[in-house]
Amino acid sequence: MTPALEIKHVTRRFAGLIAVNDVSFLLQPGEILGVIGPNGAGKTTLISLISGTLAPTSGDVLFEGQSLTGMPAYRRARLGIGRTFQIMRPFPGLSVLDNVAVGALFGHGGGHARLAKAREQARAQLDFVGLGKFVDQRADELGGPGRKRLELAKALAMQPKVLLCDEVMAGLNLVEIDEVIAVIRKVRDTGISVLVIEHVIKAIKSLSDRLLVLHHGEKIADGEPDSVLANQTVVEAYLGKRRI
Amino acid sequence: MTALRIILILAALAVLAAVPWFGSDVLIQFGINALLLAVLAQGWNIIGGYTGYASFGNSVFYGLGSYGVAIAMVQWHLPFAVGLAFGVVLAVAFAVLLGIPVLRLRGHYFAIATLALAQVMTAIVSNVELAGQNIGLVLPPLNNDRLFYELSLGLLVLVTLTVFWLTRSRFGFGLIAIRENEEGAEVMGVNTTLYKTLAFALSGVFSALAGGIHAYWVTFIDPESAFDISLNVKMIIMAVFGGPGTVLGPVVGALSLSAISEFLSSEVTSVAGLFFGIVVVAAVVLMPRGLADVFRRFRKTGWRYFAENIRAHRL
Repeated sequence: MTPALEIKHVTRRFAGLIAVNDVSFLLQPGEILGVIGPNGAGKTTLISLISGTLAPTSGDVLFEGQSLTGMPAYRRARLGIGRTFQIMRPFPGLSVLDNVAVGALFGHGGGHARLAKAREQARAQLDFVGLGKFVDQRADELGGPGRKRLELAKALAMQPKVLLCDEVMAGLNLVEIDEVIAVIRKVRDTGISVLVIEHVIKAIKSLSDRLLVLHHGEKIADGEPDSVLANQTVVEAYLGKRRI
Repeated sequence: MTALRIILILAALAVLAAVPWFGSDVLIQFGINALLLAVLAQGWNIIGGYTGYASFGNSVFYGLGSYGVAIAMVQWHLPFAVGLAFGVVLAVAFAVLLGIPVLRLRGHYFAIATLALAQVMTAIVSNVELAGQNIGLVLPPLNNDRLFYELSLGLLVLVTLTVFWLTRSRFGFGLIAIRENEEGAEVMGVNTTLYKTLAFALSGVFSALAGGIHAYWVTFIDPESAFDISLNVKMIIMAVFGGPGTVLGPVVGALSLSAISEFLSSEVTSVAGLFFGIVVVAAVVLMPRGLADVFRRFRKTGWRYFAENIRAHRL
């Protein structure tokens, strides 16, 4: 089966800093892949390289076998790559409903969509992520947890084949985290492949089918969540070396 | 409610359309100026109000429209309509050629870059023989103010319908998404470069048409008056006064500010500019989001609306 995403030897430099260094991995269709790593490990850069807001210095990203090199972000979105932002990027002056409707109008399912139809789809997505009560509110009136869900609904309204989640659980309480985990599982059950970046280890461990660890821009582990978290290099990356 | 609003708008339109048949010459001439300014404010609304790019280059489109008509009629002896079309072609070409590089800039940088364009155009046109260099061109006179009035009103209806369509269409939603968050719009599938350029061109088309009508009406243009930057400032003030990013705001803003300005310059002639300045400052302090927002919110909040805005300015 063609992988949903294939990352091939991707490197991104910012002047002297190598944010992502020769990283390769696959995302299989219908899989939830967790990406973890300490602050500054290059996780968000990796998502930006896939979604097209940044171009790799070298290497290639393939979506369903097709190379994305040189393709602008909006065309990747229409192909079926949806992403959320860690620093949320809602359309503040628009209603919650219209924020999501933009995704339905322009995303993978868009192109021929009409406004009324798009709003209908948006309403369904908002119910799905649990924001059904807030459709008429302005997006900038939502609190932090609400905005996280809004990011998710906006990306889902694009009807993506691959969903890239950048820390959608950061800042949420335990109940809210469980709710978001349930939503992401449901998303996967509809056949969407999901790549999740997360800091909350416990959450990502139970959510992911596979776990990938980045450290200083390099992949240091990739495999079953339990074995990856037990890996000595991974523990050292997070906690440092034992000195005694 | 909406039915009532439509009837009100149609009634206002009928009254406006009837003005040349009962109004004085002075009123008709004031009307042509005010309507053309309203077209410019509404045209600016497309790029400035809906797309969020504060353009100081719209007076360039206006000038190109003026020169399109003037060159076609004076140098090539073509009819007025062809001149208008020629002006539109010039404006679209300009929007595409210069929009692509300039629209990569955001915020203040975009404003400054477009501000420079108007200065450059004055210098260029002053040296083009076809455009009459810095002497300008004199158009054949047409003494028919009723026609110019109705043309201006028709153009205002057309640009306003276009803006109304924006609020209902996929294209308009793309523009609003760009205004609200450009990077967010891009990753959701909005072709931001294309959309911004189209918005700039669309805005330019209407400014050019207004310039073309104005040139034929006043029968004389020169580089200084055609690419006058203060005209651009005017359209921004009018659009912002009425409410940028709304369908009727810029029209109401342009017509009411034109009326205020005309009243002041006939009543307190020498210090009219001062009073006009006070009106603008008061508007910025009391209703920073324009008249449209006042109408929307005043019923709910009453006079507190103004107090809250003053407080928001920390005065």
